[in-house]
This record gives sequence, C-alpha cells and structure tokens, in this order.
Amino acid sequence: MASTENLTLRLEGRVTAQTATSIWRSALDTLTSHPDRPIVIDTSRLEYVDTVGVAMLFDLGRQPRPAGAGVVFQALPPNLASLLHRYEAAEFATPVPARRHVGVFEHIGRSTVAQLRLLRELLGFLTLCRRALMQAIIHPGTVVWTDVLDVATEVGAHAVPIVLLTGFLMGVIIAFEVGLVARQFGAMIFVVNAVGKAMLRELAALMTAIVFAGRTGAAFAAQIGTQKVNEELNAISTFGLDPIEFLVLPRLLAAIFVVPLLAVLADVVGLYGGALVMASTFNVSYLQFYSQLLKAVTAQDFMLGIVKAAVFGMTVAAIGCHRGFRTGAGPASVGLSATGAVVASIVMVVVIDGLFAVMTS
Amino acid sequence: MDRPPNTRPVTGGADKASASQAAVSVRNLRMGYGTRVLLEDASFDVHAGEIVVILGGSGSGKSSLMKNLIGLYQPLAGDVLIRGASLVRAGAEDKATLQRQLGVMYQSGALFGSLSVLENIRFPLDRFTDLSLEEKNLVARMLLQTLEMKQAESLMPGELSGGMLKRVAIARAMALGCDILLLDEPSAGLDPVTAANLDLMLLSLRKNLGVTLIVVTHELESIFAIADRAIMLDPISRTIIADDKPTTLRDRSSDARVHQFFNRQPDGHRATEVR
Repeated sequence: MASTENLTLRLEGRVTAQTATSIWRSALDTLTSHPDRPIVIDTSRLEYVDTVGVAMLFDLGRQPRPAGAGVVFQALPPNLASLLHRYEAAEFATPVPARRHVGVFEHIGRSTVAQLRLLRELLGFLTLCRRALMQAIIHPGTVVWTDVLDVATEVGAHAVPIVLLTGFLMGVIIAFEVGLVARQFGAMIFVVNAVGKAMLRELAALMTAIVFAGRTGAAFAAQIGTQKVNEELNAISTFGLDPIEFLVLPRLLAAIFVVPLLAVLADVVGLYGGALVMASTFNVSYLQFYSQLLKAVTAQDFMLGIVKAAVFGMTVAAIGCHRGFRTGAGPASVGLSATGAVVASIVMVVVIDGLFAVMTS
Repeated sequence: MDRPPNTRPVTGGADKASASQAAVSVRNLRMGYGTRVLLEDASFDVHAGEIVVILGGSGSGKSSLMKNLIGLYQPLAGDVLIRGASLVRAGAEDKATLQRQLGVMYQSGALFGSLSVLENIRFPLDRFTDLSLEEKNLVARMLLQTLEMKQAESLMPGELSGGMLKRVAIARAMALGCDILLLDEPSAGLDPVTAANLDLMLLSLRKNLGVTLIVVTHELESIFAIADRAIMLDPISRTIIADDKPTTLRDRSSDARVHQFFNRQPDGHRATEVR
C-alpha cells in the first residue's frame, strides 16, 4: 500500500472465499483509520476474484465516507465494473431480519393451541373411522379382506418375536420385584396373584400396545405420509375411492384383530416368565404357581386385558393413519408424522388405560 | 456468444487454468452399476467459460454421467479431471477439495428444508470460510440479487415455486465461488417463461462471471438457447454419438438418431399408426 495525497489501496493476486477474510478486514481497517482521505483501490494487479471477492469490492465501495474522501476503483476490469454497477448500496442497507425469538409462554400457548386443534381433528377423523367400521360390520362383503390379511401379517406375525421378548421380561421383572418384598413377609405365594393380575389386566395389553405404537403406528404414519407427499392420496380420491375405506379401514381392522392376539401371547410368556422366576429363585414350584394362579385370576381379568388390547390397537392405528394424512410437504414431514404418531399413540394408550382403571375399579 | 474476459470477476478456488487446460476432462470413461454398463469409452473436454449440454433419451445415463463428473459415483474405468487433477484417483481429502470447486444444482434443488433461503446460501460459507456474519450475509444477498431472488431471502424452501427453488439452488452452488457449475435438468417442470428466464440467467452468469456450465437436459429450446456444444448419449450403443454445436447437429447431422432427437421426430412406425 502506497501513501500519496490520495491513499492507494493496492489489491494483488487472488481474492477468493479462502483468502478474502484477512484482505477484507485489513482493507476495512485502512478505510476506518483514514476517514478523511480519498481512497483509491488499485485493482491492476488483481489476478482473480470469486463471488466473495466481488462482495468484498462492493463492500469497500459502499462504505460511508465524508465528501471528498470517497472510495474510487482504479484499473477495474470492465466485466467486474459492470457487475459491481448492478448492485446498489441502498439495497443492502437493511439488516438481515433475525429469526423471531419465541418466548416460553408464547411457545406454551402455541403448543397448547396446536394440540387442541390436533385433538379436534383427531376426533373428526375418529368419527370417519367409526362410520367406516360400522359400514364394515353391516356390510362385511365390502371390506377387501385380502388387504386386511396383508396388513395383519405385516403388523402381527412380524411383531411376534419382540412381543414375546417384552412380555416374558415383564413377567420376570414383576416376579422379581414383588418377590423381594413378599419374602420379607413370608407371603411368597401371593406373588403369583400379583404376576397374574398385573399381566392379564394391565401389562400384557399395555406393553403390546407400546410395541405396536413404536413399530406399527410409526409405519402407518410414514406409509400414508409418503403416499400423501407423492400425491397418491389425490389419485385415490380422483378415482372416486374413499381414502378412509381404502387405506385406513384395513389397518384399523387388522389392528383390532391382531393386537389382542399379540396380547394373549404376551400373557402366556409373561406368566411363564413369572413362574420361571418363582421356581428358580423363590422355591414356588410350577404346580403351586399354576394352582395359585387359577385361584387368583378370573376370566374377567383376561377379557379386560383383551378388550383393552383391541381398543389400544384401534387407537394406535387410527392415530398413525391420522398423522399420515396430516403430513405436510417434503420428505422431512414424513419423519415428523412418524415421530408424532408414536408419541401421541403412547400418550393416548396410557390415558385410555387410566380410564379403564377408573371404570373397572 | 460472448466469451468471458481473461480476468474473471467470479470463479472457483482452483488455480488459474491455462488456456489449453480444460475445466473438466473426461477420459475413456466407462460407467454403470455393477455389471450394467451405461456408457463406454466416453471422452470429452469442457473448456473454461463454455456451456456444454449433456442430452439423450430417457435411460441414456445423463444424470449418472453428471454424478460421475462430480465424484458421487465411481466410474468402472477411465478418469474425470478437474483442471487437470484426477477426481477418480484422488484420496478422500483431495477429492473433497476438488468437489468444493464444483457447484452442483440437483434436479430437486436439494435445499435444506429447515433453513431459510438466505441461510441455505450462507451454509457453505459458514462451513468453509472465516468471514463474519455480515460479510457472509452480503455475499449471500448479492448472489440472490444476481439471480433476482432477493425478495425471497427470508422464505423457507417449502414456500418457493419450482423456478425460485432452482435459482436458489444455483445461488447456493455459487456461494463458495465455484466457477464450474453442473446443473441437472434446470428447466424441467418449469413453465416456458420461467424456463426462458432461467436460460437468460445462465447466459448472464457465463458472460458476467465467467462460469463454466455443464447442463444435463433434454429441453430442446433450452439447448438451442444456451449451449455452445451438445454431447448426446445413446442408450442402445452406450456411447457418445454426437458432440457439436446444437444447430449443426440439428441441421447437418448424418446420424438418424441425432437428427430425430434435434428435430423432435417420433418413431416412424408410431407416426404411421396414428395417421
């Protein structure tokens, strides 16, 4: 940089995204430290500039300076000059608007409103589902049972291993936890009552529903969501088909049939897990476990679990399908729908379980 | 068509290309998937400041060729050179450096859905430069201004039309100063006016910024509007069957397939069937 009456700022070599930072700051510092002197930016030795270099030149040229102390470019290549003339400093004066910060209370308020809206939509959707189910009961011939079987195979048969594992472990855990307490009171045999009641009335249905929500509710939301993104839902409607009957009904029916069956499997392996722990750890034989179980549980307990499982299955399937239908544009929204389906399903399953507990107490 | 001047105001971070050195060179390229070969023994050069269109019928491997050119796919044989440096033989780090010299616009735009338009363009600057936020915002806004998209800086990608999406994608591809741009079907799905505006914008990028453009397309109007050269791929022979000026290919090509393509003629038997 040579200093005459005009201060000459000589740019040399290459100004690119990789090299511009220090050149840009140094040039701005020079301009700031000589506020009253005219500045000549000599570009005759400039070999090469890229997008960032152009922005730097523009930024240097637009710096506010007092009259008689402006910035002038010297030996600017014509194409570069014509490019810089395209930009007006005033057009870039406004700061980039920052993303508006949402406060905690506003966030809570917005979320509450969104959840209430979602609940209202879900109720409307459930009404449509109920209508479709009633139609299927009155006219079973209208249901495409092969579709129901396909869905049932996918969501039921393929879920058996994980349901067996979780059900077995639930029985083992309850027997251990209750057994440790019961041993202090010499009431080991009543652990069987706890395992039986808990598995048949609550845990088999609840755990199966949670597995079903994670595995199948998310899949329903993703499948239907992808169909929505690909405009398949529009195509179905254009063919004069009802998307609820075409897409939702087979899934609902499959869930209503399959989840209770999975819950029965969970009951069986859960009780076996409890019996295994009792026999191996607490000296209660399998025969004692069996005879005590027959005294402890009733058919109503078993049926309550089965009914709960059917309701849970229907709830999970309906929420999964509803989230799928609500999917927005773009692939990211499919993921959001799947996540939302799992969370909403589990919450609703627990709420419904609570209602059952109140009603049957 | 105008050629960019020697001192180019905007180009990528690579060393100066000599006049003889091509911006992109393809040497005896053989590409495909597994045992399925899409293109055999393809060789061509794209010189700095040129606009070259890669075209061909559906399934001829246009988009696959582009993915080979940008190093996303590994060719079965042959080489791709970026200013003389091999993209195929480069190690991971050198390959990433070479890839950063290429600006790529994917057919869908591939903008990040959670970022605004301005943030999308700023993204490569955030990752690869030490510029301050104000400086990066200025670069991004100037690019948006160049592409006549400044009014959209706060919008999210989901709020953009197809044409806007593609222009923002081009702006993002140029943010790091890449002077070689590869565009996959930039005018596909656009209305004729938007497509014509996009063509003008590409010509303007070349004229004012000295950008080298490789465009994959089969939109004939765009090809005639922007291309210096057209390279045509054939899915049957799996070779390059034409490499010349589009008007030359249209008017003087002796190859029936090229003549049919450039004159938009249906297959003979189909034309007879409906008459």
